Amino acid sequence: MLSIKNLHASVEGKEILKGINLEIKAGEVHAIMGPNGSGKSTLSQVLAGNEAFEITGGEVTLNGDNLLDLATEERAREGIFLAFQYPVEIPGVSNLQFLRTAVNAMRKHRGEEEMNAAEFMKLAKEVSKQVDLDPAFLKRGVNEGFSGGEKKRNEIMQALLLQPKLAILDETDSGLDIDALQVVSNGVNALRAEDRAILMVTHYQRLLNHIVPDYVHVLAGGKIVKSGGRELALELEERGYGWLGIKDEDTSN
Amino acid sequence: MKPAPTLSSAFLHPAGQTLPEPLLALRKQRASALVDMPLPTRKTENWKYSSKYLNLSDDMAISLPAEGKAGTSLAIPGYKVVFTNGVMIPEASEYPDMEGIFIQSFSDLNDAEAQALSQKLGGTLNHEQAQFARVNGARFEDGLLIHLKPGAVLDQPLFIIHNTAADSSGSAYPRIYVDAGANSQMTLVEEYTSNGEASVLVNTVTEFNLADGARITSVRLNMEGEQVQHIGATGVLQAQSSRFESHCVGFGGQLRRHDLQVRLEGEGAETKLNGVVVTQGKQHYDNHTSIDHVAANCNSEETYRNIAADQSHAIFNGRIHIHQDAQKSNADMNNKNLLLNNGAEIDTKPELEIYADDVKCAHGATIGQLDETSLFYLVSRGIGRREANVLLTMAFINELVSQIPVQAVRETAQLRLNDFFEQTFQEI
Repeated sequence: MLSIKNLHASVEGKEILKGINLEIKAGEVHAIMGPNGSGKSTLSQVLAGNEAFEITGGEVTLNGDNLLDLATEERAREGIFLAFQYPVEIPGVSNLQFLRTAVNAMRKHRGEEEMNAAEFMKLAKEVSKQVDLDPAFLKRGVNEGFSGGEKKRNEIMQALLLQPKLAILDETDSGLDIDALQVVSNGVNALRAEDRAILMVTHYQRLLNHIVPDYVHVLAGGKIVKSGGRELALELEERGYGWLGIKDEDTSN
Repeated sequence: MKPAPTLSSAFLHPAGQTLPEPLLALRKQRASALVDMPLPTRKTENWKYSSKYLNLSDDMAISLPAEGKAGTSLAIPGYKVVFTNGVMIPEASEYPDMEGIFIQSFSDLNDAEAQALSQKLGGTLNHEQAQFARVNGARFEDGLLIHLKPGAVLDQPLFIIHNTAADSSGSAYPRIYVDAGANSQMTLVEEYTSNGEASVLVNTVTEFNLADGARITSVRLNMEGEQVQHIGATGVLQAQSSRFESHCVGFGGQLRRHDLQVRLEGEGAETKLNGVVVTQGKQHYDNHTSIDHVAANCNSEETYRNIAADQSHAIFNGRIHIHQDAQKSNADMNNKNLLLNNGAEIDTKPELEIYADDVKCAHGATIGQLDETSLFYLVSRGIGRREANVLLTMAFINELVSQIPVQAVRETAQLRLNDFFEQTFQEI
């Protein structure tokens, strides 16, 4: 589904990604772990199409099509979804309006009829229950005044509404207490499907207790330095990153 | 040195003579005071950005005839008073028939009523700051007097449609005086609109005189055509514990100028001023507001938002004057501005004068562009660039638009905003 070959990217002239190679097939769940500053979030942002990052080499294809040629909104319509590490607050745009506009943009792209306000309200209420978010949040501004956990649940709610082909979860576990982590994980697990891939970017392995990945990759210094199965995450938890020759002062769980 | 320009004497000759004698006399007296009135130039502080758009040539001085097509963009559910070129059109109007509420055109007043009005007319305004209110005072052909007896409550909004039929060059001088008795209440909507393509001047004055405990909500919607020079002034006097709420929504044109002056003269008075301005093309919009905290324990809250696209220019000048005896004043002024193009210009200037020592006075002004992070967030969900731009621009003023307490105005504003978005954001 997603194929990344020798991807290089930089921001403000500084190279962050230094040759990433990664293959993700439909139905798979991959976890990318790594210390702070290793390039995890950059990879997420680059895949979603943030123009603040400059692609300096390599290629990325989604189901064989060149992803890097597509504008951000086109990538989303082709099925890329990024759950933001720091979801943006947009006062003045109601969550409901935002979600409905997004869902209808997707439907329009697929040649489906747009949902009217009443139809969408029904759907949104159902999905909000799935992530344990009070439907009252629908009326508020996008993420406006939401707690950290509420923002993350709102991200997962969007994924559930938009039904992407590839969901990228950027540090979705950060700032969550154990109950919220459970809710978010249930939401992500509900996304798992044969025709969908999930890429989790995380600093800590605790999320992986709830969402069990098929593959784990370690990103360090802008490259994937080690790949393995689920057991790699456990090993990292036990031994830290040091045994891989990676310095990470911040990774003391 | 070139002599300072003065108002052409052509402006000193009103056409209509249908007003009652006391108002004719007042007008005549005001006209004589206008002789050699200096015109603002770019060196005149309160007109420095706008004076160059003034066109006060002799043909602009001609009174526009009180005829022509009247129109409104509003779906008006109830009471309305329609003016064409500053003169009331009775057959198009629908008055409330309620006890304690008197609504009359100036020309229908008897001599005693006209005499009483002539004592008050202009009294809410500082004419040094709103120079052109003096011109209106010398030129108004008609006007509307709204008199609410103490305790009278108008059960639904009154719409006043000031339509300018711009079939030929000239000017119109709409005038409204609201005398709100103690504890009376009403919502007044003024729409300024036009048809026809000729260059015209619309010079308005609206006055609100609020007695103790009166509550007035004023909505002002400017929908005039591009070629209209609109120079309007609103004066508000507030007695003890009265509350005034203003919602101004304006779309730009060749020249739009509105002066809004509020004097809080009785203790415990409250005023809330909201304003939204949207400009595009080469349009120009200049809002000057002024709040005088004269008495103690008064609150004022002011929120204005400007959006400027293309090469347009928007100005906000907000003055707050807290007088020496106005202890425990609470004043909050906020002006945020959104520039949609590099060629657009916005000037904002808070002016605070504080002579009392126990007051709370906050002000803030920002000028910015659409937030890239928010845009990225929206488009990353598949929302098109154009739609994302529209959502964020609308978000910038939504708070104010949604506060307008009259549905018909919100709807009209939204439709006009949709046109603006249509022209400003191309599909990418």
